[in-house]
This record gives sequence, structure tokens and C-alpha cells, in this order.
Amino acid sequence: MKRGIQCVLAFAALGLASPALAQVGGAVTEYRTFFGMDPRTTVWMIAQIHLLFGAFVLGVPIFAVLMEYIGYRTGDRRFDHLAQDFTRLLSAAFATTAALGGLLTFALISLYPRFMTFFTEVFHETFYIYAGLFFVETIALYSYYYSWDRLQKRKRAHLWLGVLLNVAGVAILLISNSWAAYMMSPAGVEQGTQQFTGSSWEAVWNPLSFPFLLHRLLGNVLFGGLVAAMYAAVKFLNARSGAERAHYDWMGYMGNFVAVSTMIFLPFAGYYLGREIYSTSPVMGNNMMGGSFSWMFIIQAFLVGMIFILVNYYLWLGMGRIPGAERYQRYIKYITVSVFVGFAVWLTPHNLPLSGEEQQLIGGNFHPTLKWLGLMPAKNAVINLIILATFSSFLLYRRSNRKGPVAFSEQGAMGRIALTIAGLVGGGMVLSYAMTIFSLDPASLDLAAERAAVFLPVAVLLLVQVAMIVVALSLTLANRGWLGQAILIGWTFLHSVVILGVYGFVVMTSANPFLRQVAVAQWLSLLSCLLIVTVIDVFLYRKAESVGELRWGQMPARSQYVLIALAVFATENMAVMGYIRSGLRENWHIYGVLEDTSPWAFTPTEAYAMSVISVTVLLFLGMMGLMFWLAGLGQKERSPVETEAASIENA
Amino acid sequence: MRGHFAKVSLFAIALLAGFAFLGHVVTSISGGAVVAVEGVGPEAGEAIFWGKGTCYTCHAVGDRGAAIRGPNQGDTGPLGLPVGLRAEARATERAEQTGRSFTATDYLLESLIEPDAYVVEGYKAEMPTVHLPPVALDAEEIKAVVAYLVSQGGDAEQLRVEQSPLWETVKAATAAGAAVEPFALYLPGDPEAGRALFFSPELTACSRCHLVNGEGGQVGPELTMVAATRSVPFIVESILDPGASVASGFEQMMISLSDWSEISGIKKEETEDTLVIADTLGEFHTIDKSEIDELELIPGSAMPENFSELLTVDEFHDLVAYVLTLKGEAAAPATEGGSD
Repeated sequence: MKRGIQCVLAFAALGLASPALAQVGGAVTEYRTFFGMDPRTTVWMIAQIHLLFGAFVLGVPIFAVLMEYIGYRTGDRRFDHLAQDFTRLLSAAFATTAALGGLLTFALISLYPRFMTFFTEVFHETFYIYAGLFFVETIALYSYYYSWDRLQKRKRAHLWLGVLLNVAGVAILLISNSWAAYMMSPAGVEQGTQQFTGSSWEAVWNPLSFPFLLHRLLGNVLFGGLVAAMYAAVKFLNARSGAERAHYDWMGYMGNFVAVSTMIFLPFAGYYLGREIYSTSPVMGNNMMGGSFSWMFIIQAFLVGMIFILVNYYLWLGMGRIPGAERYQRYIKYITVSVFVGFAVWLTPHNLPLSGEEQQLIGGNFHPTLKWLGLMPAKNAVINLIILATFSSFLLYRRSNRKGPVAFSEQGAMGRIALTIAGLVGGGMVLSYAMTIFSLDPASLDLAAERAAVFLPVAVLLLVQVAMIVVALSLTLANRGWLGQAILIGWTFLHSVVILGVYGFVVMTSANPFLRQVAVAQWLSLLSCLLIVTVIDVFLYRKAESVGELRWGQMPARSQYVLIALAVFATENMAVMGYIRSGLRENWHIYGVLEDTSPWAFTPTEAYAMSVISVTVLLFLGMMGLMFWLAGLGQKERSPVETEAASIENA
Repeated sequence: MRGHFAKVSLFAIALLAGFAFLGHVVTSISGGAVVAVEGVGPEAGEAIFWGKGTCYTCHAVGDRGAAIRGPNQGDTGPLGLPVGLRAEARATERAEQTGRSFTATDYLLESLIEPDAYVVEGYKAEMPTVHLPPVALDAEEIKAVVAYLVSQGGDAEQLRVEQSPLWETVKAATAAGAAVEPFALYLPGDPEAGRALFFSPELTACSRCHLVNGEGGQVGPELTMVAATRSVPFIVESILDPGASVASGFEQMMISLSDWSEISGIKKEETEDTLVIADTLGEFHTIDKSEIDELELIPGSAMPENFSELLTVDEFHDLVAYVLTLKGEAAAPATEGGSD
């Protein structure tokens, strides 16, 4: 409870941040240094470490509660213990998150008094709500964690505590996220006078709040999963018994599984966010990928690509512990080629600031051939390819220890109901978007009426996607599920990656604003395919005979280093994106409203930025390691790992 | 235990050092210095175009730059002409559209300070206004950019920006951006009294043309959410000087019919054969297109411009106070823009 008080004290101090704080002897102090160090880098590092801890603390409860629920519904105790393990990590990180929040608040008040005066004027009401929510979250977290054993017989009550924890967490995220979003897309400010005249809600729900919230929520879950997997990997490497190794192998796998499941949605949440940033300010949007931050975006693309590659590699290594997986090994080379081709295109830049000499070297401002691969249609196509390839790895993994598929007719009413729901949801969303495009008014995109002809092929292709979904479902019902899956995956690849990928270039030249709709069409088609193929797969293999039991714990050490690398890459990526998000404002504290007039209001070089980011990530990982070590000190006396791990091994 | 911990730590440190090194490699291989240029000539404009003005993030100039959000300003752009020559063709087009005389310089100045006034087909109306934050160019910088654009195919030596009727607007706008007193109404006003005025059929008769929460006419823009989407100064200006800014879709037109009669008002509906016009009395007229001799856009708003004479100071503030309560209950997309 002390930890919660720490945070509240920090915010009480924030509430006291009055303009008077900024005045010394009548002169207004706008900026201060941190013991001679520049305030910008100081706040940057503190904020980033706080945000990384915050992401973990808000991300982990989402899947911890989900796993506890799965354990409760299925009666599989392993999930319950895993959820408890994840929550133990959470408990350790929570206090540090709160302390860092206090430190960040103090740093902002003391280093940026002018900014904080304006910011307090806009958000002062939200500070109290935030503090109140923090109380709720603190109480919910500790109640959830400490009542685990006591409420074993009243699992529903315990799960509700978890839900309360998540509700408070998301509400906290909504408010704190809105502060950051507001700095990029201020609302309620009078143009000309630059004074805030809006309401608190207007400020909280500013134009970028929701896109950021969505992206952060997904990002937090992915990040939480990978950090938990890293913890499991370190524990695996240090395990003294086969049982312990089995437990942490499974924990690492589940952390990675959580991350992969979320990762499928992240590129599109990112695309949506980027689109909204561009809509908020084309200057800021263009600067993001075509201006000062274009190289940082290439580094980000590299990190995202590496995460996908490593996730696939981990799944392939994991197949080594599954009897029967050797039947599918031959497909891996095709998936590898798809992922690497996609990665290469994903990484290809288009618009970079180049010197005259550099332009001469490549024969113009961009490469004559590769320039096409740098454009958005190519990126949209290959990210779909990479996701489809990763999904294929996942399918192979989950089928590995199963003998041939079981006839769908043997799955009973539950199978038919699930298939119908999946068909309605997947087909419904694609159909609905096809109708939207059919009725799309070109004027709403600032296009001439005759450009409506460009929309037609996309709408028709979506209708074909719906038809393919119907075909896949019908074949499944006719006990040809495997064929239905193949047809749907094949068509989705053709449609979402190849046809719309190429057609995107046509759209770019004739109706560029419509490209956004093309990207959404590609994604919805892919999503519908993943949903329906997964549901079919579950019922095809649910009652299938096992080839042999999974040999948990029998993983090579390099697989655990893959998990560690994944966590490092994800953390670095979050820090890179955090820097880009903040840096896009350039010389503005609050974009277009409150200018940064300090000597540190410049965009640093990539070398400086990457050094600060890497040191920040190192500090975070070091602190996280310390927290986990401390949490582990008291674990031995009460840990159920040994007994529970034995149950996994013998399961 | 220690062995593995050390290995894991070294592994993580090696990865992070690799990222830091990557940043150094990127910095060392790319970029080129940005040089500041003083003055108002094409060279200074070029430096602003490719620097502070951030124009290059949307526009390429011929082979230079790769941005495609906005039209290319070189000879690979629209009409196959560089912007210096293209501006002349656009000026002719703008003169026909507005009924005012337009030079190439006028067109370029308008494009910079009122970018939505004319949008090249195939592109979105999304260019920022260059004298406002975050770009915030001053009048001299705008002049330099115009000089640079004219130099793309045209003769910048012959440029006389100060002679453009828009130049005064540019100076006023950039000066306004530099120092503005906070806007404040003189009196708080009584919203209830204002509501009575709004719906009074005699004095203001606002509701004859404007819809609020389903009540009123549909000649002008709906005002159900106007206070949620528009600033106080804008609303005040829209009442006292409605012609200053006319909402898109509410331009006034004069129609001469073959029977020598005339109808003026706002176009509400158009089919292949007919046109529906709403006049300022709130009446709708369906006109057969075959009967139209001439159709002409009338500058300014259809809304009466004499509210400053009709209303006392108290009444005016009451009316404004009421309008400021209109933050929306019903969906009201038509409030966009607006001389209301």
C-alpha cells in the first residue's frame, strides 16, 4: 500500500504546481537543467523507463486474467498457476512504476515549469481522477494477488477482482495516454490567442487519444507477453530440474503466444494511428516517414521485421519438442522465404533526405527500381504476407502432434454453432465494408465523381472474399475442411497480398486518397481469413488422435535466447516509437500551441537518439531484472512450481 | 546460475550496443547540411521550401524530392507544366470561378494562405495554412517561397508580390498570428432571452433558415452543434459579417429564367432536369433547368447583413450566449463552415 501512497504524493505535488513555482525573485523561469544535464534528455529517459514499466503493469493483467479464466473454465490448473506467476511479476513491477511516475512528475515540474503551468491549466481536473483510479488499481492489484489462494474456492469473485484491476488499468491508460496525445493534437485551444477554452473531456478525448489508446493497449499486451517470456527464458536457463525447465518452457511459450496473437493486430493499429497523425497534421505526418524521422522509421521497420522472424523461428524450434512435427518441417522453407521477402520489402525506404552526392550515387532522389517497394501499397501487401506466413507457422505448430483431421460432422452442434458465428462475424465485416465502398462518395475524399470507378474493383474483390468464406464453410460442413482452409488462405493471399498490392499502385496514381480504404480492405480480408481458418482448424483437430505427448522442457538453449532477443527487440522498438511520437512535435511542447523556446528544442541525430534509447532500454531491463530477482527471493517458501511443474511433465 | 545470468546480460548488452551502433552508421551515411539563406529571392524561398516550410514533405519539384501527397511543382506535375507556368493557367481558372481578376502571383499567394480555396483534382484538401502554426511563415518568408515557385518555369525577376491584392491579406494574417489579444465578449448575455430572439419570427427570424434540434428551417447550415465545432470569434463574425466566410454548399446564386424573372437563393437539390433553390424567406423553388437562361454565383452570403443595426448590444450578446449553448444533441453535419 505504501507504493500507492508514493504515487498519490507525487500527484499531490503535481497539483501544487502553480505558476508561482516558476517564479524566482520576480523573474519567470521557463526551463531548468538537471544538475547541468540537458532537461530534454533527462525527461526523455525517465518518461521512457516509466512508460515501459507502465506498459508491463497494464499489459500483463489483461492476459493474466484471461489465463486464469481459461484455467477456471477448463479445470486445467496449469493456467491458474501461470496466471499467478505472471501476477507475481506484476506485483514486483508495480511499485517501481509508481515511483518512476513520481520521479517523472517532479522532473517535469522542476525542469519545464512553463509547460507544466499550461498543462496543469488544461488537465488539472484529470489529475485527481487519475490519483483516484490509481488507488482503485492498487487495491485491486494487491487484493487480486494476495487473495489468490484464499479465493480458490470462489474463483468467480477472484476473477471479478481481476476484471476490476483491468478496468482501472485501462481507465488510467485512457487518462495518461490522453496527456501524451494532447501534446500532439491539442483541442479546445482558441486559434490566434492560443488559450485553452475547452473542457477537460475535450482535452482528454482529443483527436489522437483513441488511436493511441488502441495502439498502446495492444502494444502493452504484446510487450507484457514478451517480457514475461524473457523472465521464463532466464528461469529456464537457470533451472535445476527437468520439472522446472518444463514449467518455464511452457511459461515462455505462453508469453510468446500472447505476443504473437496481439502482433497480428498491431501493424493495422499502427497504420490507423499513422493515418490519424497525418490527418491531424500533414506536416507532422509527412515528417514521420518522409522527413526527419524517416531513418528512425526504417530502424523501427527493422525491429518489427526481426520480431516477426524471431517469432517464427521460435515456433519452428518449438516443433522440435513435438512428436510428429517432422511431417511439417518441409513447409518451413517456404514460410522462411515468404517472411524474408516480406521483410526485405518492408525495410525498403522510399523517401529519405539525401545529399546531392548521395543522389548522384543512386541516380536520382530514389532508386529507379526499388523506389516502388518503398511505397505504401508495397508495405501494405507485405505486412499481410508476413502475418499470413506467421499464421501458417502457428497452424503447423498446433497440428504437429495430431494425426489427420477428424470429420467435422463428428464435432456435434458446438462445431456448427462456432462455425456459423465465425462466418457471420468474418463474412459480415467484409460484406459491410464492401457495402461501404460501394456507397462511398468520391467527394468525401476530395475526388471527382468519375473516380468512383476506381472503388469498384475493391468492393467486388471484397464480395469475392465473402463468397470464398461461404465456400470454405460449406466445404467444412461437407467434411472437406482442410480444402476449405486451403481455398480461403490461397484466395486471401491472392486478393490481399497480390491483387490489392498491385492495384494499390493504380490507386496511388489515379485516386491517392482512396489508398486508405484499400489498406482497410486488405486487412479485413486477412482478419476474416485468420478467424475462420482458426475456427475450422480447432474443430478439425479437436478430437484428433495424438502422435505423442509434448516434451516440455526439451528445448535448445538458443530458443531461450530467441525469447530474450524478442523482449529486447520489443523494448527497443517501443522506445524508438516513443521517441518518434514525442520527437514529431519538433520545437513544440504542445504542437502548434506552446513552443519550446529552450536551447534543447532541436531534433537530435539518429546516433544520439539510438544511444539514448539503448541506454534507456538497458536501464529498464536492469531494473526489471532486479525487481524479478527481489520478487523471487520470497518465492521459494511458497512456490508451487515444483509440484505444478511435475504435473506438466507427467501430463 | 551466475554463468547464465552473465551470458544473458552480455547478450542483451550486445544487442543494445548493436542498435546504438546502427544509429551511428545511419547518421554518418546520410543527410547533408541544411544551409539558411537570407532575403526574399528564389534562393531564400528554395531554402524555406526544402527546410523550415516543410513543403518538400508533400511536394517534389521535378526529380528533386520524392513526395507525392501534393502536386509535383516541376514539369512532371499537373498539366505537364512547372508551377511557375502552371500558376498562370490556374489563375485563369480561378478568375472564371470567382469572377475576380487573378494573376499567377495571386493564385500562388492564395494557395499558401488559403490552401482549401482551390484543390487540384486528385488531391485532398489537407495542406496546412502556412502562416499559422506549426509552419508559421512570416510575410517575407511567404514572399520568398512565391519567388521560388515562380522561378520554376516562370520569371521571378518580373515578380511584384506587393502589387497583388492578396498581399495585404498576407501581411494582416501574418501580423495577426504574431500578436493577438485574447478575444472576449463585452457582456455575458442571457441564453434564454437569446433563444427567444433566435426563434422570434419578426426581429431576427434566425430559425426561418437555421435548424436547431429539429426546429427551424433548412435554408442555411444547421446550428445544433455549432458551438461545439466553432470558436466564439467565428460565431460573432458569422452574425455580424456573414459574407466573411461562407460555408461550403451554401453559396448564394442568382438564376435568370427564360420568362425574364429572377430567383436568388441557395441550391438545395439538383437532379438531371431540375434545380431546387431555397430563398431567404425559407421558401423552396423547383426550377426546370430548361428554363434557366443564366446561373451566376453571387459573392457573399444569403444571410442578412444588418444584425448590427437590428439588435441592441444586449440583444446581440443574448443571441450569442444562446448560440454558444448549442453544443449538440442531434447529429448536425451541416454546421461545417459558415456564414450563418
